[in-house]
Amino acid sequence: MNRPHISTASSHLPRRAFLRGMGVSLALPALECMSPVLVRAATPVVAPQRMLVIVNNLGLLPRHFAPTGTGRDYKPSPYLELLSDVRDEFTVFSGLSHPGVDGAHSTDNCFLTAAPGAFKFGFRNTISLDQFAAEQLPQSTRFRTLNLGVTRPSEAAKRSLSFTRDGILLPPETSPANVFRKMFVQGAPGDVQRQLDRLRRRGSILDTLNLEAKRFNRTLPTADRERLDQYLTSVREVEQRLQTAGEWEQRPKPKTNRTPPADIGDSKRFFDQLQLMLDMTQLAFESDSTRIITLIVDTFRAPVLRLPNQEETTTTYHNLSHHGQNEEKLRQLEVADREHLIQLRKLIDDFAAKPENGERLLDNTMILYGSNLGDANIHDTTNLPILLAGGGFRHGQHLAFSRERNQPLCNLFVTMLQNLGVETDTFASNTGNLNEITVK
Amino acid sequence: MHPTMQSTFSFLLGLLLTASALHADELPTPAAALFERNCVGCHDDSSKKGDLDLTSLAFDLEDRTTQDRWIQIHDRISKGEMPPAPNDLPESERALMVRALRHPLAAADRAKIATSGRGPMRRLNRIEFQQNLRDLLHLPHLDILDRLPHDRQSHHCDKVSSSLDMSRLQLMAYLDAVEIALSSALVSTKEPPLVRKRRVEGKQLASKWYIAGGRESLFFSRDSKGIDLELRSPPKGQENEPDPSVELALFRSPGWPYALWPDKVIAHTSGEYRVRFSARSVLQLKDFVLQTGTRSVPMTFRARKPTNHDIAENVRPTGGIIDILPEQRVYETVVYLQEGQTIEYGLLGLPSPQIDAQGKTGYYRYPPFPEGGQPGVAFRWLEIEGPLSPVTWPPASHRVLFDGLGVEVKSDNPQAEAKRLLRRFIQLAAREPVPEDAIAPFEKLVVGELNSGETLAEALQSGYQAFLCSNLFLYLREPMTSVNHFTIANRLSHFLTNSRPDAELIRLAQDQKLRDPVTLRAQTQRLIAGDGFDRFVRHFTNSWLNLSELRRDEPNVRLYPEYRLDDYLVESMGRETRAFFATMIRENLPAHSLIDADFVFVNDRLARHYGLHEVKGSNLQRVDLPRSSPYGGLLTQASVLKLSADGTSTSPVLRGAWIMDRLIGQPPPPPPPGIPAVEPDIRGAQTIRELIAKHTASNTCSGCHAKFDPVGLALENFDVLGTWRANYRGLEKGDRVSGIDRAGHDFSYTIASKVDASGRLVDGRQFDNIHDLKALLRNDSRQLARNLLNQFAVYATGTPVRFGDRAEIESILDACDNNDYLIRDLMMALINSRIFLGASHRPVNQ
Repeated sequence: MNRPHISTASSHLPRRAFLRGMGVSLALPALECMSPVLVRAATPVVAPQRMLVIVNNLGLLPRHFAPTGTGRDYKPSPYLELLSDVRDEFTVFSGLSHPGVDGAHSTDNCFLTAAPGAFKFGFRNTISLDQFAAEQLPQSTRFRTLNLGVTRPSEAAKRSLSFTRDGILLPPETSPANVFRKMFVQGAPGDVQRQLDRLRRRGSILDTLNLEAKRFNRTLPTADRERLDQYLTSVREVEQRLQTAGEWEQRPKPKTNRTPPADIGDSKRFFDQLQLMLDMTQLAFESDSTRIITLIVDTFRAPVLRLPNQEETTTTYHNLSHHGQNEEKLRQLEVADREHLIQLRKLIDDFAAKPENGERLLDNTMILYGSNLGDANIHDTTNLPILLAGGGFRHGQHLAFSRERNQPLCNLFVTMLQNLGVETDTFASNTGNLNEITVK
Repeated sequence: MHPTMQSTFSFLLGLLLTASALHADELPTPAAALFERNCVGCHDDSSKKGDLDLTSLAFDLEDRTTQDRWIQIHDRISKGEMPPAPNDLPESERALMVRALRHPLAAADRAKIATSGRGPMRRLNRIEFQQNLRDLLHLPHLDILDRLPHDRQSHHCDKVSSSLDMSRLQLMAYLDAVEIALSSALVSTKEPPLVRKRRVEGKQLASKWYIAGGRESLFFSRDSKGIDLELRSPPKGQENEPDPSVELALFRSPGWPYALWPDKVIAHTSGEYRVRFSARSVLQLKDFVLQTGTRSVPMTFRARKPTNHDIAENVRPTGGIIDILPEQRVYETVVYLQEGQTIEYGLLGLPSPQIDAQGKTGYYRYPPFPEGGQPGVAFRWLEIEGPLSPVTWPPASHRVLFDGLGVEVKSDNPQAEAKRLLRRFIQLAAREPVPEDAIAPFEKLVVGELNSGETLAEALQSGYQAFLCSNLFLYLREPMTSVNHFTIANRLSHFLTNSRPDAELIRLAQDQKLRDPVTLRAQTQRLIAGDGFDRFVRHFTNSWLNLSELRRDEPNVRLYPEYRLDDYLVESMGRETRAFFATMIRENLPAHSLIDADFVFVNDRLARHYGLHEVKGSNLQRVDLPRSSPYGGLLTQASVLKLSADGTSTSPVLRGAWIMDRLIGQPPPPPPPGIPAVEPDIRGAQTIRELIAKHTASNTCSGCHAKFDPVGLALENFDVLGTWRANYRGLEKGDRVSGIDRAGHDFSYTIASKVDASGRLVDGRQFDNIHDLKALLRNDSRQLARNLLNQFAVYATGTPVRFGDRAEIESILDACDNNDYLIRDLMMALINSRIFLGASHRPVNQ
C-alpha cells in the first residue's frame, strides 16, 4: 500500500502573538498542545491513547461469529478464524447489549449513546461516547473527533454514531476527499477570523465573570467561599480551553505527500468505499489530526452491491439481512460478512506495523468493532457482536456474559473511557466496568 | 480542644471534657464506661470494625467529618443496630449512651448553624436554571435542559447544595445555553414570521405509506372500505390528490417501522401552530371494513424531524392527549414545533407489530382482533396554521432585552443607552437587588465591546450573557439575616415552582413582609394553588420516587406479553402518581395516604389494569375504591410497584428496601460486601420465598433483612407492573397460557406456584396479605410524616435535616399530630420554621 509520509509545519506557535490576537491578557498555564504535534518527532513523548469505533449496522451472521468456549482457550468461530493471525491483538465479547435499546434499525443511532426507548413517549437521544470523551479531555489535536460514515450523503442527516449532549445528530462526513481536505488543506482566512472573533468575545465574558466572582468572594462566609472557589476554578479552566481553541485556529495544517483521494461514486463498490475510509482513519491518526474517530458502516442503506468475488448481490444488503434462512441469501451475506472481517484484520495489521515511540500504533489505539444488531434477521438488539482490538489491553480472550441477561455494553465503554484518560466510572447505562481486560 | 491520636483512656476523658465544656450536666460519667464496655472491643485500633477506631476518634465536634462520625455512632446505637446483637445492651444503658451523645451533638450543631447557616449557597439545578430563563425571557418553550450536564443526586434529591458542583463543563454548558436562549429571545425581522396554512385531505394525510405491521395497521378507505390495498406507496412521480371521500385508517401505535405524518407539513420556523382535524374512532372488521367505534381512542401528535422510519433525535408529544370519539368531529389543538419538524400521528395503547420473531418470513403479523373489531382512528382531513403570532411585535422576549428600541436596536447615544439597558436587564434578571459595585464589571464589558466596534445589540448580549452565567444568577443564598427577605422569596419560589419569584413575591420581599407568618402562609397557599406547582409535583416525584425512570425496565416479553410495548399504560402510571401526590398536598390529606387511600386516579387503561369498573377516556378521574381493593395510596400504585421491580421478576428484598427507604424513610444499611444478589428462577420451579429462606434462617442476615424483606413479601401479590396476581408466572412448570401478543408474536408462559404474601414485621406483628400490612404501616403515621418532612426540607433548602434540626422536626410533628399529620400542614409548618427561614428566625423550641 502507498504509505503516506506526513510532516508538519515547523514552527512552534508564539503564544504572545496569539494573545495579542485575542485581545485579552490571561495567566498562561502550560499547554500540552504547544509541544510539537507529530509524534514522529524525535522528542520522547508519551504516546496518546486513541479510539476508533466502527459500527456495521446490520451486524454479522451470529452463528458464524459467536466463538465457543471462554477465556484465552476459546475456539474461534468461522468468522474469527479470519482473524487468527492477530488473535492476541483483540478480545471478543459476547452477552453485551444496551438495556432498553430497541427499535430495529433505529438503534445504530443509540449505539454510542445507549439512550433507551426510541419509540416511546418523548424519546430524546443523549451524548455519545466519542463526544463525551472529547468534552472531558483536553484539546490536543485540531479535531476533537472525526465522525465518518460509509453511506449515501443523503443519509448523513438521519443516521450517525455521534450525538451532542442534548441529543442532536452530528452528521458523519461521507466523503473521503472532504476528510482529506479538512486534515491537510488550509481553510479560508475569513473563517478563521470569524472563529477568533467569537473566541475573543467569550474571553471578555470570562474576564467579567472572574472579576465579579472575586468581588463576590469578599462578601461571603467561609462555607460559601468553598462553593465559589469551584466557580472561579471553572472560569480559569474555560479560559484555558479558549486559549487552546484559538491556538488551533491559527496553527498551520500538517502536510502530506499523499495524493488527495477521489471519492468513489459507484455505490456498488461499497467495500472499496469502506477501504478508502479506513485509509483516512489511519491518516488521521498518523497526522495526529484527531484521537477519536467514529465510523458508521451503513450496510442497512447500502444498495445492491458488488461482492469481493466480483459477484453482484441479488438484492439490497438490507433485504439480504432478512434472509429468512434462504440459503442463497445466507451465502451472499456470508461473503459480505467475511469481507468486513478481512478489512478489519488488515486494519489491525497496519496499525500493528506502525511504530510509535518504541511501541506500535496499535498499542495506543483502541479499535472497537461492533454492531447495534445481534441478529438483523429478527431485529434482535441483544447479544451484540463486539470486538475490541489494540489499546494496550490484555487480549487474546473471549469474555462471555449471560446470553439471557446481558451485561450493559456501557461497562466496556467505561473501561475504554478510562483508557483514554477520562476520569469517570459512569457512562449512560453502565453498572460497572470491564477492567478485567486492563493489563495488570 | 484539638484532636490528636489518643488512647482509649484519653478518648473517654476527651468525651467527658468536651462534653462538659458544652453541657456539663448532660453527660453522666457512666456513659463513658458504657462505651468502653460495649464498643471498644470491636472498634479499637487493632480490629477497627467498620473502619471505626474509637481509641483515636477525638470528640471534636468542631470538625465536620468527626462530627458526622459521632452522629453516625449516635444513630446506630439509637436505632438498635449497634452493638450487633441487640440483647447485649439493656435498654436503660442504651438510652443513657444515646442521651450522652445527643445533647452535645445537638448543641454543637446548633451553634454552627447560628454562625454559618444550615448550608452553603446553592447552585440552581438545571431544571431551575431553564425555568428561570423561560420566565425571565418570556420563552415558555425554551429547550436548553439537555445541554446542561445532569445534576448529581443525593438524598433522593437533585437540589442538594453540596452535590451541585461547578465545573468547566458546567460553565461551558451555561455559556452555550445562555447564548441560545438570548438568540431565541431576540428577533431581527420587521414583521412577525409569515403565517402559513396547509390543508391535507385523503391520501395527503400520509406522506409515505408504509406497510407498517401488516396491511391491517394502516390503509386508506372510501365509504368505510379499504382501497388500494395492494399498493405500498404512491406510484413514483405521482402526487397525492386531495380527495374528501378518502379516510386514513390507522390501527397501530408507533414502533419500528413507523413514519406517519401529513404530506408536506414541515414547520418553516419554530413556534406554535394550530392544528384542526376531522376524525372518528372506528372498528376494523374482517376484509378491511370499517364500522363506527364503540369507545374513544386516545392520540397525541409527536413533534419530530420528518426523516424516515428511524428515529435519531427527539420525539416530543405535543398538543396534549386527545380522545377521538366515535362520531365524526373536528378537533383542535396547538402544537409547538421546532423549525424543520413535522407532526406525526401517535395513537396510544394499540398493537405495535414487530417483524416475526423467528425471522422466517421477514414479515409482520397483526395480532388477532378483539371481539367486535379492532379499535383505531380514521382521519378525514387536517389543517395546520402557523406560527401563531405573538400579541405584539417585537415580542415580549425581545423587549426584555432591548426595551422599546425596536427590531433594529438603534440609538443616538449607544454608550448611555447601553448603560441604561444593562441596568434594566440586571434588575429584571436578578432575584434580589444588585449593588452598584457588582454591576461595574458588566458595564465595563458592554462598554468595551461597544468600543471594539460591536453593535449595541451585540455588546448588550455579551453583557447579558455574562450576567446570566455569573455567580449572581447561578446561585441561591442561605437566608442569614432577618432583613433580607429576598432569600426567603427565592427559597419559596424555587421550592414550590422551581423558578424565580414572581412580581408579587418580589414586592413582598422589598416590603420586608415575608417573615410575617400570615403573609408567608398566604403566599404558600397561592403558590400551591397556582400553575407553577405542577412543576414542583413533577420534579419532586421524579427525584423522591425516581418517577423519571419509570420506563427504565422493559417488562419481560415472554412472561408478560400483555404489557409488551404498551407505552400508554406506563405513561398513565406516571400521571396517576403525579395527580395523587398533588391531591395529597392540595387537599391536605393525612400522611398515611402514602400507604392507603379509599380512592385512586385512573383512566380507561389504568381502570383495566387495576381491575376496576370501566372508565371512559384518557383523562384521569377520581374513583372510589371498593373496600376489597388492594389499591389506594402510593404504596400500591402501579408506578411504585414497577419502579421497585425489574421488569422480569419482583424481589421482596429490593421492593422492601425501596419502600422502606423512599416511602417510610428508614433506608436499610448497605448490603455486606461480596454477597451476590438473589437471581430469581424464571422457570417457575422455585419460589422467591424459598430463594430467600436464608435471610430468616441466618442470624447475620436476619438482623437487617427482617426490617425490609417482610414489606416486600406482602407486595408479592403485585406483578412487575402492579397487576394483582394469585400465582407467579414461569416458563416451564405449571399450566400453560399461549396466544399472540401486541407485537404479533406467539407467546407461551405458565401459571406457576401460588403467591404467599404473609409475613411478620421486625417488631413481631403478623400479616397475611397487603390489607393487613397497610393497616400496620399506616399506624406509624408519625414516621411517615417525618419522612415527608425530611424530604421536603432537603428539597426546599438544599441541605438535609441536620442533627441540630431534629428537635425542630419533632416539634413540628408534635404540632401536627392531633389530626393525623395533614400533609399541607406539615409543609406550612416547615416553611414557617427556622429550618426554612434561616438561623436568625427562632419561632419554636429553643
